[in-house]
Amino acid sequence: MNNHEDFIRCHICETVNYNDDKNVLCRRCHGHIYNSLRISFHKTLAFLITAIILYIPANIYPILISKQFGIHSESTILGGIMHLWEAGSYPIALIILVASVFVPLLKFILIIYLLITSKYKSYSSKLDKHKLFYITEAIGPWSMVDVFVVIILSVLIHFSGIQIYPGAGATAFALMVFFTMLSALSFDTRLITNKKHLKGHSINANS
Amino acid sequence: MINEYELDNLIICKKCHTLHEKIPLHNKKKALCSKCNIVMYQRDDKMLDKNLALVIAAAISLVIAFKFTIITINIQGLEQSLTLASLFSVIAEHKQYVVGMMFLFLIVIFPIAIILSMLLLLFFMKIKKGAYFTKRLLILLAHLRPWSMVDIFFISLLVAMVKLFDYANIELGVSFMAFIFTLILDIIITKNISFYELWEIHTNTYGTINE
Repeated sequence: MNNHEDFIRCHICETVNYNDDKNVLCRRCHGHIYNSLRISFHKTLAFLITAIILYIPANIYPILISKQFGIHSESTILGGIMHLWEAGSYPIALIILVASVFVPLLKFILIIYLLITSKYKSYSSKLDKHKLFYITEAIGPWSMVDVFVVIILSVLIHFSGIQIYPGAGATAFALMVFFTMLSALSFDTRLITNKKHLKGHSINANS
Repeated sequence: MINEYELDNLIICKKCHTLHEKIPLHNKKKALCSKCNIVMYQRDDKMLDKNLALVIAAAISLVIAFKFTIITINIQGLEQSLTLASLFSVIAEHKQYVVGMMFLFLIVIFPIAIILSMLLLLFFMKIKKGAYFTKRLLILLAHLRPWSMVDIFFISLLVAMVKLFDYANIELGVSFMAFIFTLILDIIITKNISFYELWEIHTNTYGTINE
């Protein structure tokens, strides 16, 4: 069998191509498999930084505002989780905690780790890193649960006396999820296999 | 260097990117990755027909899910129901345009686009027409697939219902059942359909198309 790094999987049509050029056109679907690895690296980083910046207002500003006969009360993500925990609904508190706190943080850490190890030597195997990236892509959209819950509640609790509506935190959070997904989508799996890309343009094609 | 024909006999696992050599399969058999044990490719001679039937069913249930009441709550005589229309009118009323737009795309437009393009794709591949069109649809589907969040919306719905359980009477609407049905069908379709195989069928029926 040939060396694994000489081949690349097209992310659109899943066919096997030679990993030989900066601008690879897929032989089956004729799409750009990937543009430059450098662009991919910086795009991933840029989207990730945007997402991390948005994560701050998402946690500071209230995600849910409830108005009960004129009395305002606001709750942030963490506040809402603590409220649920105190009220005794542990499973829901856990779902929200995992979906809106752990999943985004895990994604940030994983993408940062993958970006750093694409530049520097790492001790984890390529196989593990590919699996980590697969996890990153799979868990991505699940952080939207909290935003959807708030929207559904705001539609259902919509009376003249009592109202619930999404706050600025919901917008920031939704955008955060959007940018982490973009970040994961623009990550090039060749960043895992190739070590030379950031120093020079040469990517070997000899098999 | 090996030629293109030999490249076609290779496959890379989508999870761990391990290179494998393909072996011919019997009908209804699956090939698993040697490293991480997920399905890499499968052979099912009736894949197009099966999935076309499932996609038609999914399209019908999706229309029902979007058209009618999902749930109705009753708090001491006050009633409020959740439909797609009421959802967007309330979002507009609260001026949450960013969230509203994301909701519109992730829950409504992308899922409909995915079901519709799968329907057209499988239909045209069945009657073996529209070589260029089906290829564009396959590429479109590859871009759209990560962006559908109907399943996450449904989990959120369940979470919201548990939150309201103590205060309100909850009545399940027609669309709630339709949502469950859509999701079950969606799981079956994702399990059955293999885009790798669809591309192979595409190349076999239409040949390579150069743009």
